[in-house]
Amino acid sequence: MKKFRIGAEKRNILEGYIFVLPFILGTLIFFAFPLYMSIKLSFGKLQRIEGFIIRWIGFGNYLKAFITDTKFIPMFVGVFRHTLIKAPLTIIFALIIAILINKNVKFRGFFRTVFFIPFLLGMGEVMKQLLGQGVDRQVVSISGGRLLPRELLMYLGPKVVEAIDSFFGIIIVVLWGSGVQILLFLSGLQSIPASLYESSKVDGATEWEMFWKITFPMISPILLLNIVYTLIASFTDITNPILEYIQNLAFKGMEFEYAATIGWIYFVFIIILVMLVFILLRNYVYTTDAKEAKRNDRRSSY
Amino acid sequence: MTEEAATKKWRTSNNKTQYSIPGFIRNMQERMAERRALKLSDRVFRIGTYILLFDLAFVFLFPFFYMIVTSLKTNADLYNFTVNWVPRTVKIQNYVIAFRALDYIKYLKNSLILTLLGTAGHILACSFIGYGFARYDFPGKTLLFSIVILSLIVPVQTIIIPQYMIFCNLKWLNTYLPMIVPTFFGYGLKGGLFIFIFRQFYLGLPKALEDAAKIDGCGFFRTYWNIVLPVAQSALLVTLVLSLVWHWNDFYEPSIYISKMMKTPLPSRLNELVNLVNTPPSEEIFDSLIELEAMEEEMAINNAVLMAGTFLVVIPVMTAFAFLQSKFMQGIERTGLVE
Repeated sequence: MKKFRIGAEKRNILEGYIFVLPFILGTLIFFAFPLYMSIKLSFGKLQRIEGFIIRWIGFGNYLKAFITDTKFIPMFVGVFRHTLIKAPLTIIFALIIAILINKNVKFRGFFRTVFFIPFLLGMGEVMKQLLGQGVDRQVVSISGGRLLPRELLMYLGPKVVEAIDSFFGIIIVVLWGSGVQILLFLSGLQSIPASLYESSKVDGATEWEMFWKITFPMISPILLLNIVYTLIASFTDITNPILEYIQNLAFKGMEFEYAATIGWIYFVFIIILVMLVFILLRNYVYTTDAKEAKRNDRRSSY
Repeated sequence: MTEEAATKKWRTSNNKTQYSIPGFIRNMQERMAERRALKLSDRVFRIGTYILLFDLAFVFLFPFFYMIVTSLKTNADLYNFTVNWVPRTVKIQNYVIAFRALDYIKYLKNSLILTLLGTAGHILACSFIGYGFARYDFPGKTLLFSIVILSLIVPVQTIIIPQYMIFCNLKWLNTYLPMIVPTFFGYGLKGGLFIFIFRQFYLGLPKALEDAAKIDGCGFFRTYWNIVLPVAQSALLVTLVLSLVWHWNDFYEPSIYISKMMKTPLPSRLNELVNLVNTPPSEEIFDSLIELEAMEEEMAINNAVLMAGTFLVVIPVMTAFAFLQSKFMQGIERTGLVE
């Protein structure tokens, strides 16, 4: 009897391994091996492409990145600053929009779909063409003289007008890039039990109080998920100058070793940042009874 | 039989009395009172919300409208600043030119092969792998799952050089295999995210159904294929739409692995179109287009054609999304990503 039970347990483990086997194989071939090769490449010099013969040369490439290369550090700082501005804006706008749609508004389905449309256009070639035509600056453009009278524009001067236009351009691009975040927030808001709002309303809570005392804590797990997603999406975005730099080094300049080095520095930086955000914010995430309450609510509503 | 019908009738009539007229009126009165209680500030707030939402909708739809409107403009309209949203004359020929210049059908086929196979890989592999993570316990599971998350964080560029070498040694360059094969192993474009989505979904699924199947002697694969997958519709749809869109718009990996012009996917063709816009058309292309444009004394390829081409590139994704849209939105809300 006992033997049979152990057998069943073992079979269970075996079945588990069968399910994740493709992933293990994929990890070895498409992830672990390339990762290992690229770190080896960053510490060495490629002798021959066939068979990956690499000669160890030490920290030379890393020293080059931090000391000799005058382009890398400013570019790096630029990308970091760019993300630092855009990521919080994305999160805030996405949250506001999600809350607006989640309210009891008409045409809810329409808005939900519309806010997802820029995602379909993607951040690839199509969006590149659109941005190439300056679409982001045309949405809210004061320099055209339609929104504000020309006299005012003359008074402000071309520099201010230009600055305002590019400011709106940034906001617009941020908005277009927030489709996934809006959806995630919406799904988070949907899962908050309505009973919480009802009971707080009975106790005389205002909308403002309800947001900070109910909505915000309840969606804090998804807020964390969204922040991490936004950070990663922004750092691994194809239009990112550092990633472009790596690609040019590797496939135009044929400096494979140096490209791998920059890739690794960048990767380690992202990991540290994401871990930091995760650890710092995890303490503020509200997780306990929320799930239980939600399940009860769902059961009663379905 | 008649007795049954009689009881049924009695029941329905009894039900009717439950929603009797006095109750209905009371309900109405309550509602009226509620409506009266709506303060002016609340109403202003509500109207403000709608204005804000419609403004935002305009912002989000802008690139889409811009694309369509510009693609229908004639050259004269294009440089006329008074023509903004409504072109004076609609020029559908732009689409004909773009269609020919893109060599649409041929490259559409390339893109379809790449996208459909890649998406199929993600759906099959990630639903399978995610099931293992959600329902089984085995040594090393935590480590493996952290690799799933890690694979999302690593930028493609960090590992693309060794990957390129691997595919080079396998003689896979200039085929779609480097983009398609990894998806069948839970990698490829954001494969880790889809594994995560499926795992979360399965965790929220009641286990009773699978247990019952197992007791009846259903093997583990059949349980997954016949019992679990049919229920996992919402997670499947979310994965389908996201993977489809990402694969369609991806130009980075194809630009690395595919150097033959013949094999590039459709979106990458837009670069060709841009080159045509910026440089005067070369002899052979011009010859093929000249008969279309012989009537007009303007350049064959301009920004309007470019936008027509861009719109042609987006149409397949748009159509797919239009069909899947409502279920996708429901799916996002039900996958239990939040838990």
